[in-house]
Amino acid sequence: MDITISLNCPACGGTINASEGENVVICDYCDSALFIEGDSGVYTIAFKNKITKDSVVLESKRWWSEGFKARDLKRSGKVVECYPIYLPFWNIDLKVAGWICGYEEHIHTDSKGNMRKERIPKEIMIMKEYVFTEIACDPGDLGIRNLRNLSGETSFEDFEMIPTFESTTSRDDALQHAKDDAFSRARDSTRLTEITFERLHVLPRRIFLAYYPIWVVRYEYRDRMYVCTIDGVTGKIISGRAPGDPIFQSLAVTAGASIGGLIAAAGILISQADPGIALAAIGAGVAILYVFYRFFRRGSEIIVGDFSERSHSPGEILKEISEVTRKFQRVYR
Amino acid sequence: MKIVQIKCPSCGTPIRMKNKERIFLCDNCKMMHTRNHGIESIDYEIADFAPGTAGERMYMPFWRLYCDFSIRSKNVERGSFFRLSQWIKGDRDSGMLFVFIPAFDVSLEDFKILSTRLTLNPPHYHTTMNFGGVPRMPVLLTKEEAQELADFVVVTIEAEKPGVLQYLDYSLIVKDEKIIYLPFIKTPSGPVLAV
Repeated sequence: MDITISLNCPACGGTINASEGENVVICDYCDSALFIEGDSGVYTIAFKNKITKDSVVLESKRWWSEGFKARDLKRSGKVVECYPIYLPFWNIDLKVAGWICGYEEHIHTDSKGNMRKERIPKEIMIMKEYVFTEIACDPGDLGIRNLRNLSGETSFEDFEMIPTFESTTSRDDALQHAKDDAFSRARDSTRLTEITFERLHVLPRRIFLAYYPIWVVRYEYRDRMYVCTIDGVTGKIISGRAPGDPIFQSLAVTAGASIGGLIAAAGILISQADPGIALAAIGAGVAILYVFYRFFRRGSEIIVGDFSERSHSPGEILKEISEVTRKFQRVYR
Repeated sequence: MKIVQIKCPSCGTPIRMKNKERIFLCDNCKMMHTRNHGIESIDYEIADFAPGTAGERMYMPFWRLYCDFSIRSKNVERGSFFRLSQWIKGDRDSGMLFVFIPAFDVSLEDFKILSTRLTLNPPHYHTTMNFGGVPRMPVLLTKEEAQELADFVVVTIEAEKPGVLQYLDYSLIVKDEKIIYLPFIKTPSGPVLAV
């Protein structure tokens, strides 16, 4: 992480630069070992806001014209409010070490359709480093849960001018969430069907609280209010809601039905040699139709960010297609 | 946020160091302490170089944890369990042992090699009172982290034997911990223990 905090050596007065979250520093001038004590044991930094109101409005309008949003949004949308706030985020670096044992299960189908289950035992060593971030207060309707950027200049000088949300979650709670998240990511990385033994250890390396500048833009479109947020350091969109377009919704459901139907039909046509191909093709067709249908259902509002309901990236859509296909095949069998 | 100069809790001498580390060694009274959860003194030992050792010398710090280890049940696929009786002093599958954990910055592969090798074959050495001007690598692992990793080392020793570990129910209780500075000689193929 590229964050430094400027302090002065209490022994010689020399300037020292400490990286965020570390508590031992050596003075470059007198070699004194120095210890940084945070308030109540929590190290706190604040990122400097680098973005102006004009550039925030421009970025919002650029985002309005992106993707499947209402085509006249850039023309008819009107910014009602645009202001910066400071939100607190917990930042935790941790190392996970341990072993996960278990087995992978593979199902093989021969040319006659007979299925054979193969179980491959595995022992997997885990030694990974993770970075966990989590908002330390209730963000309300802003759709922000994690901090995506961890580089920038730090300074508390904007604290007087920009409204600041106080931290409402404890360091211990954040650490527990970070541990749970690291365990879950470590388990996912093994890709085991069944875990029979697991012994993981989490070593927290750094914990600090970062106050981060976020610009909130509230805007109006056809008598309805929407919101988006812009990163006060990078100037990029973080989260937001925007009106969708009925034309795109209609096209989605039409395309889903066509592509799904074609894939299923093609699979059935070429499946004389292997009934598994027909099964997979029907599953894929149904899955594609389902995903496009979901876009149709939810396409009236485009959602970006950490909202409970949001749009999905192409990667997530592909993952969802494969999961739905697998479920369909299991049900069919 | 405030910054304080670290002084020896025993004699008050300011601590000066060239490399950042998690422990602080007083040049005056030789007390070693840490400040992770308040000020706590650390027990340490310096192993002497074997007589006649030639080459570039260095000290590497290890946490040596004295552990009570016992296996309650186990299961391994396509192989057999390593006979713990070969390296535990005591009854089969249980007893006391020293677990060595590298306390310096080391790659995962070297961590595994060093920790398992030293745990299975604890070094015998004579101690000395000081480093004799030999450079030492900084301690970057806290006592608590070493205790966590002791568990990892024990499972690694079991898992890396023939067969695939599927289940292991055991207990590992750390009774005592100490930093041991082991002497090494730098060679083209890597550091070699010189006790």
